Amino acid sequence: MEKSRRIDYDYSISKLFTITTILFGILGMSIGVILAFQLAFPSLNNIAGEYGTFSRLRPLHTNAVIFGFALSGIFAAWYYIGQRVLKVSLNESPFLKKVGYLHFILYVITIILAVVTLLMGITTSKEYAELEWPLDILVVIWWVLWGVSIFGLMGIRREKVLYISIWYFIATFIAVAMLYLFNNLEVPTALISGEGSWIHSVSFYSGTNDALVQWWYGHNAVAFVFTTPIIAMIYYFLPKESGQNVYSYKLSILAFWGLLFVYLWAGGHHLIYSTVPDWIQTMGSVMSIILILPSWGSAINMLLTMKGQWEQLQTNTLIKFMVLASTFYMLSTIEGPIQAIKSVNAIAHFTDWIPGHVHDGVLGWVGFMIMAAVLHMTPRMFKRELYSKSILETQFWLQTMGIIMYFSSMWIAGITQGMMWRAYDEYGSLVYSFIDTVIVLKPYYTIRAIGGLLYLTGFLLFAYNIYKTIRVGRVLDKEPVNKTPIYQ
Amino acid sequence: MRKLVIGGIILIISLLMGTYIMVGEAFDMNDSVNVLTFAGVTAIVIITVSVVLKYVNQMKNANSEGELSDHSWDGIGEYKNKIPTGWGILFIATIIWFWYYLFIAFPINEYSQIGEYNDEVKEYNKRFEEKFKNPTEETLKEMGKSQFLVQCSVCHGIDGMGIDGKAHDLTKRISKEQVKAVIQNGANNFKETYPGGMPPMLLTEEKDIEEVSEYVANGLKGEMPSMWPVCAGCHGMGGEGMPYVAPNIKEYSDELIKTVLHEGKEGIIGKMPSFKNRLNETQEKAIANYLRSIGE
Amino acid sequence: MFSWFEKRPFFFGLLVFVFVSFAGIIEIIPDFAKQSRPTVGTKPYSVLELAGRQIYINESCNSCHSQLIRPFKSETDRYGMYSLSGEYAYDRPFLWGSKRTGPDLMRVGNYRTTDWHENHMLEPKSVVPGSIMPAYPHLFEKSTDMDTAWAEAYTVKKVFSTPYDKDIDGDNKIDVPLGSLEEAKERSLEEAKEIAKKMKNKKVEEMINRGEIPEIVSLIAYLNSLK
Repeated sequence: MEKSRRIDYDYSISKLFTITTILFGILGMSIGVILAFQLAFPSLNNIAGEYGTFSRLRPLHTNAVIFGFALSGIFAAWYYIGQRVLKVSLNESPFLKKVGYLHFILYVITIILAVVTLLMGITTSKEYAELEWPLDILVVIWWVLWGVSIFGLMGIRREKVLYISIWYFIATFIAVAMLYLFNNLEVPTALISGEGSWIHSVSFYSGTNDALVQWWYGHNAVAFVFTTPIIAMIYYFLPKESGQNVYSYKLSILAFWGLLFVYLWAGGHHLIYSTVPDWIQTMGSVMSIILILPSWGSAINMLLTMKGQWEQLQTNTLIKFMVLASTFYMLSTIEGPIQAIKSVNAIAHFTDWIPGHVHDGVLGWVGFMIMAAVLHMTPRMFKRELYSKSILETQFWLQTMGIIMYFSSMWIAGITQGMMWRAYDEYGSLVYSFIDTVIVLKPYYTIRAIGGLLYLTGFLLFAYNIYKTIRVGRVLDKEPVNKTPIYQ
Repeated sequence: MRKLVIGGIILIISLLMGTYIMVGEAFDMNDSVNVLTFAGVTAIVIITVSVVLKYVNQMKNANSEGELSDHSWDGIGEYKNKIPTGWGILFIATIIWFWYYLFIAFPINEYSQIGEYNDEVKEYNKRFEEKFKNPTEETLKEMGKSQFLVQCSVCHGIDGMGIDGKAHDLTKRISKEQVKAVIQNGANNFKETYPGGMPPMLLTEEKDIEEVSEYVANGLKGEMPSMWPVCAGCHGMGGEGMPYVAPNIKEYSDELIKTVLHEGKEGIIGKMPSFKNRLNETQEKAIANYLRSIGE
Repeated sequence: MFSWFEKRPFFFGLLVFVFVSFAGIIEIIPDFAKQSRPTVGTKPYSVLELAGRQIYINESCNSCHSQLIRPFKSETDRYGMYSLSGEYAYDRPFLWGSKRTGPDLMRVGNYRTTDWHENHMLEPKSVVPGSIMPAYPHLFEKSTDMDTAWAEAYTVKKVFSTPYDKDIDGDNKIDVPLGSLEEAKERSLEEAKEIAKKMKNKKVEEMINRGEIPEIVSLIAYLNSLK
């Protein structure tokens, strides 16, 4: 049982990040849908001159959904969960509260600058590290501020033993700091030469070395932005929402430390059949297979936490989101390792099966979990009942359908294209020219675009639901213990 | 529960069949990579669906139980349950397999991707030589078409007509404008095969240039222009060309195609790069064969 | 054992750091020097080519095009010889790409020429029916930022000892000159004029006559250098 002493938690920073989660989510996903339709209907590339081409917009999409949507959701969750499982309120430290506000302000400024610079074509080209050096410096500053918040709050905590979610937030903070710093090392050219654009920089690394550092970073950005903080969320929100206890402490330990150690080795699987040494490629491949186990460990721990709770799954839409998130997490974390097997990679690399894999992970696991988190937090932060269950249910089915359309169309597209590239005829000639393999993909590109549109529509419904909850939801006089109240 | 299992099976089958059917012809069973990919795909779907269903079954039919640890966080408690046996075994198994693969299998086999490539090429060449030792003209034509569609149609168009003037129209040997330009400007494209090149303005009168251009563009049919012997001195009376001196200007001979592929060519349209080492001799002959057939 | 750490945030963080830094040290450091050695014949990009490369990056061409030929016969038949590590020695950053929405461009300079690129970048469908690539007409009107290109070349020469103004292949001639900003701009304009001679576009001609280098010309210089 909890201590009877009531702590007055402060959610002001969490609320701010919740708003940006929704706004940047709408921005990032809308651009994603535009990109998807541009591939199916290329004349859409001309909508805004040089600023509307697929190539110019793509980094905007990735940065908006990763640094905008996902990070906002993660920070919103931290500023909520942290206080509650450490049993200390931000109100008790004006310093930490100021740090939190500064974190938020600098973060938003960075995202706005990112949108502007990327639209203008100012980019380093390195994936998920496109921002030029002044923005990188800003990122480092507010990332450190977040670290201050995490360790500062732990410093004044009442609950001495750190809960699982905190482990995962710590891992996120430390690993991303290390990865981001090393991969974004760049030399501003105007500083050295005194000429040219002040914002332009050149990468510290070249060629194969750059590729290694980039994918050491890139793959582990997946690990520590798309996995660990989201696991932190599900370990809090699923037991809390359902009132269930976590299935196995031992499993959570093995899965956590296993994940941390193994994940870092798997980056080599982005470099298979490249000019990176054979042994690194093999290492990446084999470690990726091992990685299936710690990943599934967390998912299984969560599914087993829901033992006997089928009825809750049927009646509580938030639980539907979280259980399905676990399922898509499992799909994604076995699909990835299988794609990392050298022979499969020979087909899959460079094809659409890879974005397919990315999106069943980000839409199914990351997206669903962040939305579930916001749905759980909002009524407690704003003391309002969720506005509409029917809208929420509609959203759930629309988005699930969208995800299935997305990954199945891209699965087929990728494998088709990969096999077509390798096909020989009886005369020993390649059968297909490159453009043949593009033309054949149009129906799949169309299905994927529609799938993405369904997901975006669901997200807009979600935004509307949250907005109405905050404005006109029934006022709650008592904080809900487990199941989040929703108007039927 | 049964409904979910049936649903799962339907999902697995539709995904796998869907993939197999859509990929269609490109799915070459002889390519081990294709087979392994399909096996991988099958594994993903079957393993995910069956494990998820196993745990959904426990959601429906089992109960949470176990010894609680004495700690809770914001109301969340933890059981001290053991790790699932299957999971633990698989985790250890993959780690053992990793050690075996990396330190025993891998260094001993001394795998090299370049070595694998060299083997692939050797085998291809062996099979090609055996199969096409003495190709018939029909075979060469089909082979040429096959190569043309993949390597040449990108610039020259699927029909070989040059995509609206963006590249040379291969359904004829040469156009009137092109002949005129060569006569006026000279040509020195084939520096290795015809090192002397062709000087400009070997014909000076406008009328002669017109007549000769017309005659050559028509495939040397019709009335022979009076100044034709000037050209025939290097290109031969029948336009068949002369080794080391001048190329064939009547048709796409094997010799001409080999020259163009090896040296590239520049003309009034633009520049065609060299495709040296792209194709072997038989394939080059095949393309020449095919080009002669689409002209007819 | 782990529960000891779970009560002590600082040591927990330390242990996390040990776990996550391990792999990076083992994978990245051993072959670092060997991989960055250029193969024989690899040279740094000229200032004009570097400017073109920067345009390739600004437009995110790497979002759809790869520059990595894998050692499969189906790849070498289509794109040319497989890639070697040393060929990328002067690629800062690397542009291997992750996706082939369009074909690989590692050796595109071997089988596409200036006039083809001119038509293709203005309207891809005009030379590749069925293409889904966007058109890039603005490249024919914007002027290349030569200052930044020179700045980058100067920076990599100073900071990474990239061999500009040096004799790389031992024939007693400077292989890739750099010089001062003014010298580089003059030289690049001459190179640009050579390329523009093979182009038919009027806007390009006007800009070159004014002494400006349209972005399409520097981009083509870069693409033609990819052999």
